[in-house]
Amino acid sequence: MTMRTRAAWVALMLALGFPSLASAVAVGGSLYVKAKNTRVMESPSPTANAVVILQPGEQVKWEGADAKNKQWHKVKTATGKKGFVFQSNLSTTAPDMELVVEDKGKRKVNPAGFVASGAAVKALSPGAVEYGNKKGGNHKQAVAQLQNLEKKAKGVSTADIAKHVTQAGLFPVVGAEATAKSGASKGRSKGGT
Amino acid sequence: MRAHWKTVALMGLGLLASSCKGVDWTRVAQKAGTVVNDSASATKERASCEKLDVEPTVTEEYAIGSAMAIHWVQGAGGLMTPTDGAKGTGVHDVHEYLNVVGKNLGAQSSRPTLEWTFGVLNDDENFNAVSTPGAYVFVTRKLLSQLDNEGQLAGVLAHEIAHVVLKHSIKQYNAAKVSLCKTAVTMEAGFPGSGQLIASTDSGGNLDLDGDSALLGDLTEKVIELAESGNDKEQEYAADQLAARMMISAGYDPNAYLVLLRKTTDSSSLGSRHPKKADREKRLVTFLEGLKPAQGQFAELSLEGLRSPPLKPELVAALKSTSRGGVAKDGK
Repeated sequence: MTMRTRAAWVALMLALGFPSLASAVAVGGSLYVKAKNTRVMESPSPTANAVVILQPGEQVKWEGADAKNKQWHKVKTATGKKGFVFQSNLSTTAPDMELVVEDKGKRKVNPAGFVASGAAVKALSPGAVEYGNKKGGNHKQAVAQLQNLEKKAKGVSTADIAKHVTQAGLFPVVGAEATAKSGASKGRSKGGT
Repeated sequence: MRAHWKTVALMGLGLLASSCKGVDWTRVAQKAGTVVNDSASATKERASCEKLDVEPTVTEEYAIGSAMAIHWVQGAGGLMTPTDGAKGTGVHDVHEYLNVVGKNLGAQSSRPTLEWTFGVLNDDENFNAVSTPGAYVFVTRKLLSQLDNEGQLAGVLAHEIAHVVLKHSIKQYNAAKVSLCKTAVTMEAGFPGSGQLIASTDSGGNLDLDGDSALLGDLTEKVIELAESGNDKEQEYAADQLAARMMISAGYDPNAYLVLLRKTTDSSSLGSRHPKKADREKRLVTFLEGLKPAQGQFAELSLEGLRSPPLKPELVAALKSTSRGGVAKDGK
């Protein structure tokens, strides 16, 4: 490994593995949205109405923690919308958006577009399927089983995740929906209930 | 592949890998008719092989990860099959629960755009978990059967997600590329795929593995061979810490992770590269104790409100079932 490559690896490891070492953010600074379907709520509660839903890589301005519910943070989005975001949804470092950039990262795309872009869709790669099927026997069966597993995995939606998280009493991080419903002020946001 | 829920990991890995016929490169070289090209140009070419040590494209990562996933599933006797004992290539419904827990963690990782896939290896003898680039994570039935709660399940999955996020097996993949390239340039006849491998040293170092399944197969078996030596200590410590961070992010009590660590065993077969579980536990406790936010700064993690929910009864019941199926192991 060349010196330059090694330095790049170290930088990557630091950014991915130890985000807290990467930077400190004070009130007024920028934070990155970390998790899928991050809901910006009208009030600091998972059952509040969602003002807008953001996607990994989008930035918000941090306006401090809520005085009573310290795990909820006041933010202002890039479009000027204000609301509250749960602590785990935010990060001081940008997530890796490898599947929503083209040309090996030379071209930036809108992070919000990734949900609808299909960029994250994966299947057992064509070369690997050929490799397994050519080997035949148990390898061929393993290919078929993995393809069935992928169907099951793809069938698990963010709504399924949000439902389980609520039932298990975990943190309301991944929202059920990719977009806030119009007229949200009249009903509860689905992901946080 | 990457491996592992440490510890028994290597032991498990060795067994999993045992059904895979690794490539004997000495034999390959002899078969191809040659070796030993010690000319100055060959020496220069071998040095140029280091140019293959580059960040893979996502497509490349998916390809090597997919092939490794096939390897692990085949070697473990297949995935957990439906409890009705039906023959075929179906997979058990407990995979839905496993993917809910796993995808929740993956969506909060530093690689949220990957399409994470989680599976149960039909192996009730080895306490083990493995992962591959491109986001495949597998746990054995044996490991699942010894979990006390969902927090521990999340801990295992988060540890493997951490290996993928930190790209530990990508390092092994890159080492395999360089190693195979050096073998190729010393052979006059080459081997299937060696042409692309050598040519790529002058074109950025990335490979089209989907267009050359022979090269993909060779690389997969080489990576598996490297993976058998396990992760080094620093990689395991890093995966432990990142796993704990992901657990806290999702609302799981990281103490479940510490209990899980104690369930693993230190084995001499793991070799000196693997840290002892006591060292891992000590480091993790120190790390968790240091998670105190600096005044006036945004803290990504909070230790309030964490918990270890119970496992879904359906999973517990399915694991008690004696029905097993899947892909029979090679009798070779």
